[in-house]
Amino acid sequence: MDKSIFAAMPSLTPTLGFASMIGLGLFSLALSYAVKTLLVRNTHDFIIADRRVGFGFGVGSVIAVWTWAMAVMMSSAMTYQWGLSGLFWFVVPNGFAVMAMIPFARILRKNMPEGYTISEFIEYRFSRSKVATAIVTVTMIFGIILEILINLKGTSVVVSTVFGIDWKVATVVGIICVLVYSYFGGLWTSVMTGTLNTLMITVPAAIVVAAVYAVIPGGSEAVFKAAGAADARNLSVLRPDAAAGFGITLAFGLLAATVSDQTFWQKVWAIKSRDVGRVFLWSGALFYPIPICLGMLGLVGIAYGLKPADFGGDIVAVGPYIVSHIGLGLTLVLLYVLVILAACYSTIDGASAALSSVVAVDIVKRYFPQTSESSLFVITKLSVLLGGIIATLIVLSGLDFTTLVLTTYALKTSILLPLVLSILWPKTNMVGFVGGIALAIAVGMPIYATAGELIGTLSILAISGLTVVIAGLIGGKDFDLAGLRRIGDEVSAPAE
Amino acid sequence: MYVLITIVGLLVTLFFLAGFWRGLQNAIAEYRSGAPEPTDVPDYGYGSLAAVSVIASAVIIAGVGFSPAMIYAGPLLALVTAAGCGLAFFVEQTRA
Repeated sequence: MDKSIFAAMPSLTPTLGFASMIGLGLFSLALSYAVKTLLVRNTHDFIIADRRVGFGFGVGSVIAVWTWAMAVMMSSAMTYQWGLSGLFWFVVPNGFAVMAMIPFARILRKNMPEGYTISEFIEYRFSRSKVATAIVTVTMIFGIILEILINLKGTSVVVSTVFGIDWKVATVVGIICVLVYSYFGGLWTSVMTGTLNTLMITVPAAIVVAAVYAVIPGGSEAVFKAAGAADARNLSVLRPDAAAGFGITLAFGLLAATVSDQTFWQKVWAIKSRDVGRVFLWSGALFYPIPICLGMLGLVGIAYGLKPADFGGDIVAVGPYIVSHIGLGLTLVLLYVLVILAACYSTIDGASAALSSVVAVDIVKRYFPQTSESSLFVITKLSVLLGGIIATLIVLSGLDFTTLVLTTYALKTSILLPLVLSILWPKTNMVGFVGGIALAIAVGMPIYATAGELIGTLSILAISGLTVVIAGLIGGKDFDLAGLRRIGDEVSAPAE
Repeated sequence: MYVLITIVGLLVTLFFLAGFWRGLQNAIAEYRSGAPEPTDVPDYGYGSLAAVSVIASAVIIAGVGFSPAMIYAGPLLALVTAAGCGLAFFVEQTRA
């Protein structure tokens, strides 16, 4: 297939780029202001939405926070790199990771109905152990900051690539757009804008991908034949090198990304209790089509024999490059940018809302319990801005994210099995929990560094899990999870 | 197929927005009523439904390798996602 079809579009000006970013921000701001006026009166409403998030908003918002801007592009990139095996290993664990929350969410919502954060659960689960609680709190904060900066970085790269805007300016404009509206309404804003963003991700993605195939001479059949002719393995989901190369590691990483993430736990305690299980079921199942749809762009890249050098060297850019260079109309290219911006904004505002709950419950209320409601409300809202500012400074500094990514990865993966066992296994104790995480980092991470991702990840999981089990069997005491029902609401709504 | 997906996409958008409007009205009404929310959590595990969706996603991706027509399954299913979100607003129980 002749790749001379790809050409830059001169009509994609920086003005259009700014208009797209600011337009979506202003729309979200208007909705956010209405939400603030109608649904948010205090810290309790701001960080937990009065535990009244219904089924519809629950499904829409969970899909939105799980659809990262990078994931939108990675689904195309993994298909481009590994063929359908890449898409398979990228997609299948992704939806499963959301549905994996169901048993844990049900147990904690049932036994700790007034909870706010997973760190708060750990605090009561391990007799107010400061070490255990601090580890989980720090992990959640690191994870949230990482979510914000990765999405910010990904979006700034796309906007700068498509519209020719300086990436630093795009970063600042992007974060201002999100923070301004996130500041007002907290979780309710995140839930509602996120739900609308799910619409802005799905329908435009379907239309744009179909449009790309419509402009290709021969359409899907030509792409199918050319991708198969390039390498028969492109059309197979059974490539073992894809599984070993990234699939298995990614699967565990994704599990850690949901189970060890306050963004999801905040929703567990904010969604109406009767809907918690089915929200995560529907969200996981309905998430699947998004990366499957966008992954089809990767096949186009293979079919045309595109090389990474054609689109700047980073395979993540293959999707944006195809859409903005294959000859689509301006409206369709803007729709694709909207997909990425919607994914970016919804993930960042979800992470910001999660950070506000951590700050309110795990920092202010824990260490300064006498803080008044009015002060707590202000601090909670300011924390949304602070998280965004820190992430922006890291992005703008041009620092290599590797250290932060590795640290967060180490914490999240190390915490996964101890956290799961602390919910499911009554014999889990504080020594096993803390020891498992500490040993996994101390021993597992060096293995990860020397033996590679797959062996390293499996080692971290094995070390952390085995330590918890051994300590639990030696300790012998059972924890009564139902006793957590006695715990009151840490940030209860003040009386009217 | 592009025209079909665009038309269905517009219809799905209208359905989604109708659901969103319903959900927004419900949320405001429930908030104003101030009635306490029950804390019961249903015992459904959803394990089998989750397994079906995981297998279905794998089969659909594998199917792309057997027929070029399956390439359009992704875009069509993305519309199902939007429709599913809209539907979720209509099947949710309200107390207001």
